[in-house]
Amino acid sequence: MKKLLAFLGYTWAIACLIVLLAAFVKNDSFAGKMAKLPFIKLHPVYSGGDEAKVINEPGMDITIYKPVFDRVIGESKTGFVQIKFTSPTDTLPSLINKEIDYNFDNAVDFSVEINTVTGETKLKPVNTLVKDLNVSSRVKKSWVIRVNVTNPAKSK
Amino acid sequence: MKTTPEKNFSTTGKIGKSLLLLLPMTLLIFILSTGGKPNFTSQVSLIAFLITFFFFNILFFMILYKGKVDKFRAAGFITLALFFALTFIVDLINARGTMTFNNETMLSCEIPFCHIVSTMIILPLIFSGGIIFPGSIIGGFASITSMLVIVLGVMIALGRGFCSWGCFYGGWDDGTSRILRKPVIKKVNPAFRWAAFAVLIIVAIVSLIMVNPFYCDWLCPFKTVTEFEKVTSFTVLLKTITFVSLFAALVIILPLLTKKRIQCTTLCPMGALCSLSNKINVFDVRIDKEKCNDCMLCTKACPTMSLEKTDVANGKPSITCMKCGKCIDACNRSAINYHIKGTPVGKRVTLARMLFLYPAFTLLVLFTSGTMQQGIVLLVKLFTTGSLL
Repeated sequence: MKKLLAFLGYTWAIACLIVLLAAFVKNDSFAGKMAKLPFIKLHPVYSGGDEAKVINEPGMDITIYKPVFDRVIGESKTGFVQIKFTSPTDTLPSLINKEIDYNFDNAVDFSVEINTVTGETKLKPVNTLVKDLNVSSRVKKSWVIRVNVTNPAKSK
Repeated sequence: MKTTPEKNFSTTGKIGKSLLLLLPMTLLIFILSTGGKPNFTSQVSLIAFLITFFFFNILFFMILYKGKVDKFRAAGFITLALFFALTFIVDLINARGTMTFNNETMLSCEIPFCHIVSTMIILPLIFSGGIIFPGSIIGGFASITSMLVIVLGVMIALGRGFCSWGCFYGGWDDGTSRILRKPVIKKVNPAFRWAAFAVLIIVAIVSLIMVNPFYCDWLCPFKTVTEFEKVTSFTVLLKTITFVSLFAALVIILPLLTKKRIQCTTLCPMGALCSLSNKINVFDVRIDKEKCNDCMLCTKACPTMSLEKTDVANGKPSITCMKCGKCIDACNRSAINYHIKGTPVGKRVTLARMLFLYPAFTLLVLFTSGTMQQGIVLLVKLFTTGSLL
């Protein structure tokens, strides 16, 4: 038994060098396989949530994301909705002025005016669920805003 | 009485045997430093490679020839920390124009994933179904999956040996803890070695509740030498003051005064997680009770307070051991050695030592060789053009 344990110990010790080298040398391959695991995904608070709808307007694609209310267990009272403005020509207009219906009830929820040169962003809530601007920033060739909203399921 | 273990097999003081055992490492250093395909685009990159190549060969040869581990390991380890900070900051400034990150970096999920974040993503991944970090899942620099594979591989292969042979931050307090010859604060309560476990539990739970990598956001001292959030509000200012203060206190001042790796021992949640992986790792450090004369030199030498009187009595350091080799070098009776679980203590110590040193030193080379070469190129650029950018 002692000899078997010692043999296993030495074998495992030698295998450690192989494990270590594999973790680095075959890193791309292992990382690729890990990335395909269904639970390996960014939390919606960081990814902005799932895309709900892409509206193609002349000179501008508007991506509306599903509102994010995720917390440890269940949903929070407040969260945010992410909107991404992308120009098909990769050049954003100096001024974006849009009305957004983020919950798709055919009524405007808020309007937003973004000066893409200075970054100044003005938000006008229409729906009472819309609170204020969380963040507004250029992201590569797009402009992304996150607007704080109340969770309708928790506001009743 | 000074004794040498296994006089027939030891490499200590034997040039031929040391050179022979260096050969496999020389080959590994060459392959890992060149990616297996030497392609030097300039004279400077060739010089950088040669310096790196000889640096690591000399270090490993000295480990074998002198029979001492720690000071040669530390030379490579501190080099890693310094060159990592230099190259990381220069890369950031080249890419973003600043060391700070802003809303654009966060929203585009391009923050490099550091190994310490691993400790904060586990619970949220289980309970809220996602990784709570604004990084890239795959592709780009330091993607989440790429770093997770490395963390898993290193923890399986070396356990907490990662903290002394691979962590690109650890060299900071390892370095500062070596500046003074004698400690100003002579006794640190060994109970502090458990503090990192408390930090691990707290940051894991708080990160889960706040859906935010709390340690990275508020505490990580190493943001001082890597990247940090642009100060745009009072909250961010408070965070900045917190992590800079922690850097000054735990990475500079306390290691300097105590000669202990205070940050790694008391605050790093990754250190605690790696300590747990020591349980499943095959390598450990053991004390041969037949040789030990209870002089307690090892307890004074241990930089993480992992060796106290009770541990010496038990014949092994606590779970928090980083396998740095300092206690092994301090013992003048050669009673302490690297050991492979399942094998008898005090037997075939040279074999156990070599089987540990090959993967451990390989990890050091894996993390350092590229960074060091890039750093040397940058320093040459600084001296010739006056600019790092």
